[in-house]
Amino acid sequence: MDLSDLKKSIESIIFISDQPVSVDKLSLAFPNVERAQLRKCLKELVEEWEEFSRGFLLSEIAGGFQFRTDPRYSEDISNYNKKVRKFRLSRPALEVTAIIAYKQPVTRVEIESIRGVDSSGVINVLLERRVIEIKGRKEVIGKPFLYGTTPEFLEVFGLKSLNDLPTLKELDEITQNLEPSITPEPESNETTL
Amino acid sequence: MGYCVSSNTMTELNKEQEQFQTPEPCLVKVQLFEGPLDLLLHLIKKNDLDIYDIPIAKITEQYIEYLEFMKVLNLQFAGEYLVIAAELSLIKSKMLLPKPVIEEEEEDPRAELVRRLIEYQVYKDAATDLVGRDVLGRDVFKREYIDNSFEQDEEVELIPVDLWSLIEAFRDFYQRRSYLWAEEISFEAESISIDDKIEQVIARLQAQPQIKFEELFDDCSSKFDLVITFLALLELARTENVDVVQDSPESAILITYSGEVESGSF
Repeated sequence: MDLSDLKKSIESIIFISDQPVSVDKLSLAFPNVERAQLRKCLKELVEEWEEFSRGFLLSEIAGGFQFRTDPRYSEDISNYNKKVRKFRLSRPALEVTAIIAYKQPVTRVEIESIRGVDSSGVINVLLERRVIEIKGRKEVIGKPFLYGTTPEFLEVFGLKSLNDLPTLKELDEITQNLEPSITPEPESNETTL
Repeated sequence: MGYCVSSNTMTELNKEQEQFQTPEPCLVKVQLFEGPLDLLLHLIKKNDLDIYDIPIAKITEQYIEYLEFMKVLNLQFAGEYLVIAAELSLIKSKMLLPKPVIEEEEEDPRAELVRRLIEYQVYKDAATDLVGRDVLGRDVFKREYIDNSFEQDEEVELIPVDLWSLIEAFRDFYQRRSYLWAEEISFEAESISIDDKIEQVIARLQAQPQIKFEELFDDCSSKFDLVITFLALLELARTENVDVVQDSPESAILITYSGEVESGSF
């Protein structure tokens, strides 16, 4: 199979998939093709679809590749088909999602100490919607569940991987900013000539 | 606890607890997902205060006022709200104490609370960033096998109303409407439960999927009715059966029926 054929073949597999297609999965379909070759094809496909400037793009999402519509047409798409608008997360649910995304694996108590309020209901909603999952148990008294995000989380928020999350404002940075208001003012200007 | 204590057998402790419990037995408590830190941040933002220099007395007063009003509404606020109230009072008293003359590196009594507020704000901001991305199922779409084209009408883009603004809107409305009923009708005379009210509101929204916030209370004939209608609305919003939205922060609040959420949606 020449490179052009391979690319088209990969493209058609991605086209029919409703989940991101990873290099791992592709190498099962093409056992005789080197992974480096597959990666090269994918990279070219992403670039080509961008150059075509069509209504949809090939995006790298959750460790795989997926065709997604251009955000510019979201309104027209949801006018055509109301039910594609599936995203429904309340503000508290988003907060808990953010805490879990950045602090995972994390227990419910740790989440609640940040939010200052019981979060079990919200956690259950997120588990049900498969945005988060149980990653294990923490080795402390009571062995509480540890929560982390799912590949669906990456898909929903359009992230390649967890490393793709934007950097969080550092807490240290903030506490440093806090200090000037606490520490006493420097020397008065009495000595100034 | 599973049993009921009648008022004349109550101990002092029970009486104290009762202050924060509901005097109306027919009201079902509505639980809040937003916590006390969220309320504090709301108050700081609303008053345009410097988070590093919070006027504790003012904030404490407003915070307590809020709790009082939430009690009137019979909103179930968790013990955490009281813990923060106590913490605020403690900070307030510490700040009233005269400062020692000796220069000492003493921590601002507010520092720990501020640190918590900021940590929480960091994650609130992170949540805002997340939802500001091109979100699947809202901004971008992927392949789906089910064709539901043209099943429902299009919808204008509206911004969600946060809980505190909603409570404030209700408080204003409630205070404006209160004069209508000079004499409070006793609660015992009314038999409607919150579940019945929720059904009524749903039935109304099914007939008319979008109504103005104030229209929701059109049929209300008593303060009790107002409160229970509002609680029904909060419950429906919490369970995501309705969206509470507006065009802009100043415009009228709208209630939109969104029906049951199918499992499997994000």
